[in-house]
Order: sequence, then structure tokens, then C-alpha cells
Amino acid sequence: MWTTVLVSGISMGSFYILIALGFALIFGVTRYFNLAHGELVVLAGYVAYWLWDVYALSFVLTFPVAILVLFLICLGLKRLFARLSEPLELNSIVLSFGIAIVIQNSMLILFSGNYRLIRIPSLNKNFHFHEVYMSYGQLTLLLLSLIVIFLLYILMYRTYLGKALRATIQDKEAAALAGINVTIMGTFAFCLGAVLIGLAGPLYGCTHYLYPSTGHEITLLAITITIFAGVGRLGGIILAGWILGLAESFTVILCGSSWREMVTSLLLLILLAFKPYGILGNRES
Amino acid sequence: MINIKTKNSRYGFNKGLTPDKISLLMGLFLLLLLPLLVRQNDYILQVFTHALLLATLALAWNILGLSGSISLGHAAFFGSGAYASALLSLDLGLSLWITIPLAGFIAAGLGFIMGLICMRLRGAYFALATLAFIEIPRVITDNWDQVTRGSLGLVGLPGFPSLNLGTWHIDFYSSFTASYYLVFIYFLLLLGLVGFIFRSNLGLALQAIREEEIASQAVGIDADRLRLFSMLLSAFFTGVTGACYAHLVRYINPGLVFGLHFSAIPMIFAICGGRFTIIGPALAALIIYPLDQFVFHPLIPTGHEFLYGAVLIFAVLFMPAGFWGSIQRTTN
Repeated sequence: MWTTVLVSGISMGSFYILIALGFALIFGVTRYFNLAHGELVVLAGYVAYWLWDVYALSFVLTFPVAILVLFLICLGLKRLFARLSEPLELNSIVLSFGIAIVIQNSMLILFSGNYRLIRIPSLNKNFHFHEVYMSYGQLTLLLLSLIVIFLLYILMYRTYLGKALRATIQDKEAAALAGINVTIMGTFAFCLGAVLIGLAGPLYGCTHYLYPSTGHEITLLAITITIFAGVGRLGGIILAGWILGLAESFTVILCGSSWREMVTSLLLLILLAFKPYGILGNRES
Repeated sequence: MINIKTKNSRYGFNKGLTPDKISLLMGLFLLLLLPLLVRQNDYILQVFTHALLLATLALAWNILGLSGSISLGHAAFFGSGAYASALLSLDLGLSLWITIPLAGFIAAGLGFIMGLICMRLRGAYFALATLAFIEIPRVITDNWDQVTRGSLGLVGLPGFPSLNLGTWHIDFYSSFTASYYLVFIYFLLLLGLVGFIFRSNLGLALQAIREEEIASQAVGIDADRLRLFSMLLSAFFTGVTGACYAHLVRYINPGLVFGLHFSAIPMIFAICGGRFTIIGPALAALIIYPLDQFVFHPLIPTGHEFLYGAVLIFAVLFMPAGFWGSIQRTTN
């Protein structure tokens, strides 16, 4: 039984990494906390649900559309964030909290408050490999998340653009002095974030029930993982995602599923109380 | 900020009758006469009773907001106050006049715990910690079935008992006017207290912490202790408001009173009204909530809270000093 819990934790954790990556990237490059992140993921899920349900589009084809929609929204958000005054981090929290409320209520108007799920029967089938029981849905989540993480790794560590992004994450002023256009890097971070959210949303929609107010939980998750990792550490994000996934699946087994919702916030509080700038990161100034 | 106590500072320390004070008195007078003006229209009275209650929530939030901290976790205090008073009155049969202050103390206890956790955090990280904090009392209330009766909530809470003042008989069950005046008196008391705090040495110290924490410590202000104290006061009154809410609405459940809604509302009102002013948050509550209920709710029944997000975005982008803060700035 424990191996099954372990595998489902790792699979869930990998998906959490995918969810958190967009948030972490936008935060790292621009220093904006985007509390509307979860709402954006849910919105992407709703877009996929709508295409799948009304137009009977195949599930795979919903990804490009979701990414495109998120692209436009994120570019709009970038413009709103750019108008903020100092202190940027705090004001971005207030602004994105407002944006989250607006998106949540727009979804309520457009899609109603009913629970929606993209039902793909083949994903619910189970298989077992020696002693480990797993559903195809879990396997898909695990594999897709790992592929996206790998691609992002290539982008960040093997291309010139990635180098510029990492430089901006590490030190904005120094990067600007070295001739990197920091504003364009910010825009690029939002675009890349939109792609990651557009991938995570439909996947979320076929593994979890969609309803307008579920985004808050996703946002907390992304914040926890990002703060655990410290800024700009892909390895830290992966570790944090797996720890969180494992913590949740063991909590469900040991205490019952109703306590699961507390794991993320408790972890975030402990982190903030003892290591406010990340377990692996260290604040220079 | 240096001449903070001089005669015509823009933080509202003016002496004598200024345009500010005249409009404040006129506003309060209008609120006092409201039941007569609306000819006992129950719906309008109920909306304004609720608006006043939310105004007290915003005022209580702003005691902490004065120190520059933005809390997203006041639903924790609101919910624990509501649950404490509801359970004490239901299970122990205590009078509401005892349970409501007790609810305030329980909320303040929770505020103390939150204060200890968030003590070292500033700005954005403080806001995130408070956001995470709400989940803990909510999930515990949800799961502790024996005491809190779980996620279904509590139904049929006792309303305010009737009062016999000599020949006067005030019945809160049947008369919306009586409930309105009850909340109005609480609102007045809290408004007076917040006004007093803003002008007291505590208020000045909190504003000094907000402007320059290190410099304020250099002149001998114990920033951490004062911040914690403002958190306790803020939590206490948020808990009292939560308890009043529970007994006025007479139905609560964990998702409702610990929901993000009651964290968002006071922050939105305080920021839109002006978080560094005394009456700004209350004013915003008294304008935005009726606007929501009378205009937006009939237009878009589901999703009318759209308005709150929109005004928050507008305020933070175009009016960072808030509505009342901007007016004060231009008049002085």
C-alpha cells in the first residue's frame, strides 16, 4: 500500500510543479506576486471543458486554444501590473487579489457554479506494475509534467534566452547593466507563464472538479512551492513539489481527506515563520 | 510626516470644525435618521444594518492597517468570533451580552498566535502568511465534529434578546429598526475608538513604524510589540463583529464565515476608502455595499461580487491613497 501512496504522491507532486512553475517564473523575473494564478489555471481548465463539452473537440486540441486564450489574458495582466507604484511586491498582491475576484466572478457568470469535470474514461482505468497500483490519469500527469519540466530546463539552462532570464531573476539591475532588456524579459516571463498555465489548466480539468472558487487552493500551492524553493531554483521547485505531493497523499491516508486542505497552508506558515526566504535560497540583502 | 501633530496636517488632526468634521457629522446624522427616511422599509434597513456591520469590520481591519501591514487573514478572526459566540450561547446557554465579548477575546487569542507566527514578516510576506493562516481554523472547525458540528454549520442561533429599559421594550426579533440601531451604536463606539487610537501616541507610533520602521525604533518605539498589540485590538473587534453577524444572520458554516469573502471585504473597503484615514474604510463600506446590493445584485445575481474586485483594481492603480484620502489631500 505504501508504494502506491508514494507513487500517487510523486505523480500529484509533479503536477504541482507544473502548476507552480508559471507562478515562480513570473515572480522570479518581475517580482510580482500573482494571486490570480490559481484562477487563471481554473480559467484555462474551463476553456478546455467548454471546447470539449460544447464543440466536442478532442482533449489534446484544447491545449493550444487554452494557451492562446491565456496568452492574451497574461499580456493584458502584464500591462495592469506595469502601472503599479511602489512597494511593488505588496501592491502586486493587492492588485492580483482584485483580479482574482474579477476572474472568479466572471467564471461564475460564464460557466455557473456547478462542478465540472472533463471525463475521459480511459484515464480512469487502473493498471498495476508489480505491487504499484496506478491510474492512467496519474501516469499521464506524471509523464506530461516531467516532459514540460525537462523542456523548461533546456530553455532555462541551455539557451541564450534562458541565460538572460536567469540573469534577470538573480539581479535585475546587474542584468540591465549587462545589456539585457529587463522589461522584455518580464513580458517574456508572462508569455512563458501563460504557456505553462495553459498546459496545467486542461490537465487540472480532467483530474479535478472545476468550480470558480477552487483557484484559491491552487494559488496557495504555487506560493508555497515558490517560497520553499527560493527564487529562481528549478531544482528547488521540483523538490518542493514532490514534498508537497507526498505530504498530501500521506495526510490523506493517515488523517483522512478532509485534512488535506490544511497541509499546504501549514507548510507555508512554517516556512514563512522560520525560513521566510526559502529553504534553499538565501537573501543577499 | 515630521509635523504630524501640527495644526493643519493632512492626517485629520485639525482642530475646530473643518469641512471634514462637518461632513462626518452630517453623515452620522443621516445614518441616525435613516429608519425614518426609508419609512421602515425592511429591505433597505437590512442592507444598511449589514453595511454598518461591514463598516465595523473595515474599521477593525484598519487598526492593523495603520501600521502599514495588509492582512488577508481577517476571516480567521471573524469566523472564530462567530463560532465562539454561537457555540457558547447554544451549548452553554450564556447570554449574548457575555458571549460576544468572550468571542472577541477568543479571536484576540487567535490574533496572538498569528502575531507570533508573522512577527518577523513584513509587507508582501506578511500578507501571504495571513492568507495561509485562514485555512487552519477553517479546516479544524470543519473536522472537529463533536464541538462545531462540522461542515454543515450551525442553524437556529439565538438572536439578540429583547431589552426592557423602563417603559421601553426593545424587541430585536421583530424589529429591524432595533437591530439597525444596535449595530449603529457598535459602529459609533468603534469609530470613536479608532479615531482615538489614530490620534493617540499608539496611533502616532504605528504611523511612524509604517513610514520608517528603523528610524522609529531609533527613537525608542518597540515596533514588534506595538504591531502585535494593534493586531490583538484588530482581531478583538473583528471577532466581536463576527459574533454580531452570527446572531443577526442566525446561521453560520465554516465555508461561509472562514471564507475568503470576509478577508477580502475589509481589505477592499479600507484600501478603497483610504487606509490611512479614520473614516475612509467605513465610508467605503457604506457606499460600496449598498451599491452592490441595490444595483449590481439585481443586474447580475450570480457574480455580482465582480464589483469588489473591480473597485479594488481601480483603487490600487489610480487612487492609492483611497477615496477619502484623496479628498483630504485636495481639500487641505
